[in-house]
Amino acid sequence: MLRFILRRLIYGIITLWVLITLTFILMHNLPGDPFANSQKLSPEAKATLMKTYGLDQPIWVQYGSYLKKIATFDFGVSFNYPTRSVNDVLKQTFPTSAELGMYAIIIAVIIGLTLGIVAALNHNKGWDYVAMLTAIIGVSAPAFVIGPLLSYFIGVKLGWLPPALWKSPEYKILPTITLAFGTLATMARMMRTSMLDVVSQDYVKTAKSKGLSRFAVVVKHTIRNAMLPIITILGVALVNITTGAFVVEQIFAVPGMGKFFVQSISTNDYTMIMGMTIFYAALLIVAIMVTDVMYGVVDPRIRLAKGGK
Amino acid sequence: MSNNILEVKDLKVSFHTYAGEVHAVRGVTFNLKKGEALAIVGESGCGKSVTSQAIMRLIATPPGEIKSTSSILFDGKTDIVKLSDKEMENLRGSEMGMIFQDPMTSLNPTMKIGKQIAEGLIKHQGLSKQAARERAIEMLRLVGIPNPEGRVDQYPHQFSGGMRQRVMIAIALACNPKLLIADEPTTALDVTIQAQILDLMRDLQEKTGASIILITHDLGVVADLAQRVVVMYAGKVVEQGSVDDIFYNPQHPYTWGLMRSVPRLDNDEKQELIPIEGTPPDLIAPPKGCAFAARCPYAMEVCLEADPDITKINSGHSASCWLLHPNAPKVERPVEVGGHHNG
Repeated sequence: MLRFILRRLIYGIITLWVLITLTFILMHNLPGDPFANSQKLSPEAKATLMKTYGLDQPIWVQYGSYLKKIATFDFGVSFNYPTRSVNDVLKQTFPTSAELGMYAIIIAVIIGLTLGIVAALNHNKGWDYVAMLTAIIGVSAPAFVIGPLLSYFIGVKLGWLPPALWKSPEYKILPTITLAFGTLATMARMMRTSMLDVVSQDYVKTAKSKGLSRFAVVVKHTIRNAMLPIITILGVALVNITTGAFVVEQIFAVPGMGKFFVQSISTNDYTMIMGMTIFYAALLIVAIMVTDVMYGVVDPRIRLAKGGK
Repeated sequence: MSNNILEVKDLKVSFHTYAGEVHAVRGVTFNLKKGEALAIVGESGCGKSVTSQAIMRLIATPPGEIKSTSSILFDGKTDIVKLSDKEMENLRGSEMGMIFQDPMTSLNPTMKIGKQIAEGLIKHQGLSKQAARERAIEMLRLVGIPNPEGRVDQYPHQFSGGMRQRVMIAIALACNPKLLIADEPTTALDVTIQAQILDLMRDLQEKTGASIILITHDLGVVADLAQRVVVMYAGKVVEQGSVDDIFYNPQHPYTWGLMRSVPRLDNDEKQELIPIEGTPPDLIAPPKGCAFAARCPYAMEVCLEADPDITKINSGHSASCWLLHPNAPKVERPVEVGGHHNG
């Protein structure tokens, strides 16, 4: 197991390096530069700035010095907000984004799986249709449609919940639902299919032939096996939720990382783009690694196939 | 009467599908004595598995339906057809156990073997986890799994096919059931392992005194394990009798066909296997006469018009065929592969 994790860690670092390099090249090939928007800048002043930030040097020299810097976890100072380092921005905004993401994934998993299970156990009956209708809406309606609708009707028209901002718990409900909805729907559909598949397996028949109650058969023999494929998509779900958060944060004015990420690209804020990309990438690489390890924990067959405990 | 562990009377099972009602089992009647091994044979789709699953009440309803006129009397007193789900749960696993065809898929891949055996024990005998685990180890030893103390905490994928079937037998027999139903227990195994599993089943039957219903299409397996045979065709029993009756004095043309389609090793002559031509009838619209008539070389007009009654040959041997009617023409049973009749 330890060797497996170590190997995955090395792969992760290689992936990250490829990502850094690609982003670096792409970013420098974007038209303009970090100071293109400041029209007041005289050519001399601009040249001075370029020199200060090392942007006058050949690109591979910049690349080398950048790699050296991030090896010490120093992402540099934002070009756009010269008073703040990228690390500061991350420290300030990440907890909010993480909180929103966590709520969303928890809600998506719990409600999604429940819907899927209920649908499968009532296959082709009323509850199945209700659950699947919800799921289809969730899969087909993007967050930028659901978000404003919720914000307008529940927040503004009915006034049940605050339509935007991120303060006390009731503020957090609508953004969480919006962010969770798509993933929740995918989970529900996957779980339903998976359950229906497992229900017809021979080992479920074996479990019944032992005289176990319907409840025991479902909980001990069906759900656990049906969850195996769900765990594989958990990593992908996490990616969807983190990227989906950009949009949801904008809709509900949540002070998360999303705003900075999107802005940094339009303003050519090199250090910010790199910092955000690396941070997100590392986060997702770790998340997917954790899913893989989890898969091994839940499915004994994988545990052995990956080279023993 | 109380000598029978199981009395199946006029069992009818249908499945409601989009295409219509499939009459999978159409009035099956047979008895199983205590300590006896009964084989149900017939080709695919003849209703033998459905019959066994109806006895265990493992048929999903809907789409399945066990007709209320049927009765399955267990141990002389309990009518399985009329039990509530809860009562049936208590019977399943404790009084009757089941082994399935494919040991590769019939064990839960994410649960330890020991736990899978222990589950039934905890439910039916109220054992503690520890006691159930010890009993599971004991069962593993009984079914011939080496190092049961170590194996009990392993997962199914760490066992070979034959070993898994042994585990299945251990699960089925854990609570000392009076009836063991084995649905093609050796079909998915290779020949040497088949023999081992059959030996094990025979051995355990002697030790536990359980009655066995063996579902199979392998006549070799029948001769090996069973004392009595029920031959099914298109959802009906066409002939039943002792192994000797069926093998040496078969009466129904379908049974003749079955016998002629199996190779024999007890003679050196060049053998030609003779298949039964044609396919079984569509059970959505079963024929009004004898279901085998369309494939029967001896079919008469009456065979297409009416279903034959059961004719008793001797006390335990009966067949349903118009040829056995006193007015029917005498038909010589075709010569079997090997060229001679035994008996």
